[in-house]
Amino acid sequence: MAVALIGNPNVGKSSVLNRLCGSSIFVSNYPGTSVEVTKTKFNVVNRDVDIYDTPGIYSLHSPGEEQRVVKEMLKSEDIELILNIVDATNLERNLVLTYELLELGIPVVVVVNQIDRARVMGIKIDPRKMRSLLHSPVILFSAVSGEGLVQLIRVLESGDFAAQIDKPGMGKKVAVDLSLSGRYGERGKGYVIPTETSINEADLERAKKARDTAKFVTTQMKAGQKIWLERIQNILDHPVIGVVLLLFFAYLGFLLLLKSIELSEGPISTVLEPVNRLIGHLISEILPSGIVSSVLSKAVPEGLIIPFTIIMPAMLMVSLLMSILEDTGLLPRYSVALERAGSFFGVSGQAVIPLSLGFGCRTPAILATRIMPSEAERFIVITLLSIVIPCAATLGIMASVVSTFEAYLPVIVLTMLATLTILGFILSRIMPGESVFVYELPPLRLPMWSNVWSKVKVRFSGFFTEVLPLLLLMNIIIRALMESGLLNIFHDMENFTRFLFGIPAEAFVAVLITIFQRYLAPLVLLNLPLTPREATIAITMIALSLPCLPVMVMTVREIGLKGLIKVLIMAFSTSFAVGIILNCILPF
Amino acid sequence: MTLRDMKVGQKAKIIKIDKGSYAQRRLFEIGLVPGAEVKLLSRHPFRGPLVLQIGNAKIAVGRGIAASVKIELLEN
Repeated sequence: MAVALIGNPNVGKSSVLNRLCGSSIFVSNYPGTSVEVTKTKFNVVNRDVDIYDTPGIYSLHSPGEEQRVVKEMLKSEDIELILNIVDATNLERNLVLTYELLELGIPVVVVVNQIDRARVMGIKIDPRKMRSLLHSPVILFSAVSGEGLVQLIRVLESGDFAAQIDKPGMGKKVAVDLSLSGRYGERGKGYVIPTETSINEADLERAKKARDTAKFVTTQMKAGQKIWLERIQNILDHPVIGVVLLLFFAYLGFLLLLKSIELSEGPISTVLEPVNRLIGHLISEILPSGIVSSVLSKAVPEGLIIPFTIIMPAMLMVSLLMSILEDTGLLPRYSVALERAGSFFGVSGQAVIPLSLGFGCRTPAILATRIMPSEAERFIVITLLSIVIPCAATLGIMASVVSTFEAYLPVIVLTMLATLTILGFILSRIMPGESVFVYELPPLRLPMWSNVWSKVKVRFSGFFTEVLPLLLLMNIIIRALMESGLLNIFHDMENFTRFLFGIPAEAFVAVLITIFQRYLAPLVLLNLPLTPREATIAITMIALSLPCLPVMVMTVREIGLKGLIKVLIMAFSTSFAVGIILNCILPF
Repeated sequence: MTLRDMKVGQKAKIIKIDKGSYAQRRLFEIGLVPGAEVKLLSRHPFRGPLVLQIGNAKIAVGRGIAASVKIELLEN
């Protein structure tokens, strides 16, 4: 049995599902969290139910990734029931999609979520009146308190969904009234999936029906007392004070990040040191003495220091901060506050969401670019993410290299900012697109810690599965290359790299190593005798270079190989151009 | 009169949207359709976005779009 969860963005589809199955899907308080259809298995009375959780959409007829994904699912899967999740506090808009879904001919159960919040706001909804208009079961639901859960499970248990529908003619097998819109072309498994996207009479008709229905079933009473969260929200949404506060919070976040790394470094090193000595000792004891043994006994302990003392706390902290931002509903407020700044790069304010996610890890950030309203903007954001935005791991390593060589931090930061500006400016000029800034501000809420925790877990799990093993492996390879003297080959390039970029050949090798993992490249630098000037140029070139391997994989998945090649060409040119320019302007 | 000309606190009814089909679609999605009632909550400085209330939702729209939405003021 297959059931699809469909609804507007930010109505709590995933939290309904969480209530139902107790799974740990990402549930965030900002539009555009689930960008893919996720399938969850659920068991009711010995029957397997496949529940498809879909990205939030406002209308089946809209263009865009989310809508495409949902329509694709409706076509390819044999969906027997649609659970249409609607927001109790915003029926007028939510019901437009409901009416579209009813036209599909698949049985629909309307789950009126967030009924608890609606009551606080003084909104009363009559489910019987609503059922009489929609001819489909209506369940008042609260993912927070669990209200309506029993009813919902009972519906799923009954199995015979078509029987739940009141009026003959709304059932699955009966033909749908196609004359209403006259644009149902594509046929899925028995259903007709809308293909056209421009606004027409039928859309306006549905909007009117939704408005009338909402008016008929809701009674607005005097709102209960204003909760303090709402007061805070009003301050944060103030056009001047709010923006200042939001920027201040962001600043505090970065401060907290730096401080936590600084504070944790000491205790972690104290624990790590004896462990490392033991590992080094064990390796040289077990392996027969020779090059392998000497490389490994040095490289493995060395390779553990930076990941554990810097990258681990950074990734943890960034995951935590990002999760809180998402869960509270603060993130979209940043989009609005920074709309002006975004427009300068030719992207909408919501670009802030993937870009700031990128400071944590760029792999999920690339996925989050799906919330961009147009393909052109999406490409711009992916490019900026790939080339300019340093992820937490990169930042950690860069910090250690900067302090080791006393490189010029202001130069590095300024160069990166300048590159971001110039690159964004150029991209937005060569890829013009109609920018439509329309964005919903979800109500502010306290973070649900179980949510935050599950997100931190998922984000951070990459540390042990990907970051640590790769860092260790690369450290061993680099060690081996140095011990074997193979790197000397590049001495022939010395004149070339000195002339162009003002850095020794080995440092240039580090720039090339970014192909594997950007945050590994600075490791090579740590083992070289560099002057502050050389270190500054080399770090900046690395910071503004290729995306790491996981990001490249993701980019191909999202915008295709052609898109990736474009990004890579730009990345190499940017890195080289920055190197040459810095070499020309930095004093010796 | 357009959305952009509204003063903070004023309420209005949407009459017409003069914009390409893509923008119309986006506005339609978030409930900005002819017939809908909106209230202007705030305007961000430096020609930043306008924040509107439609139903119980808060919606931010850019000025460019706001200028293309024809409205009729409602008595408070």
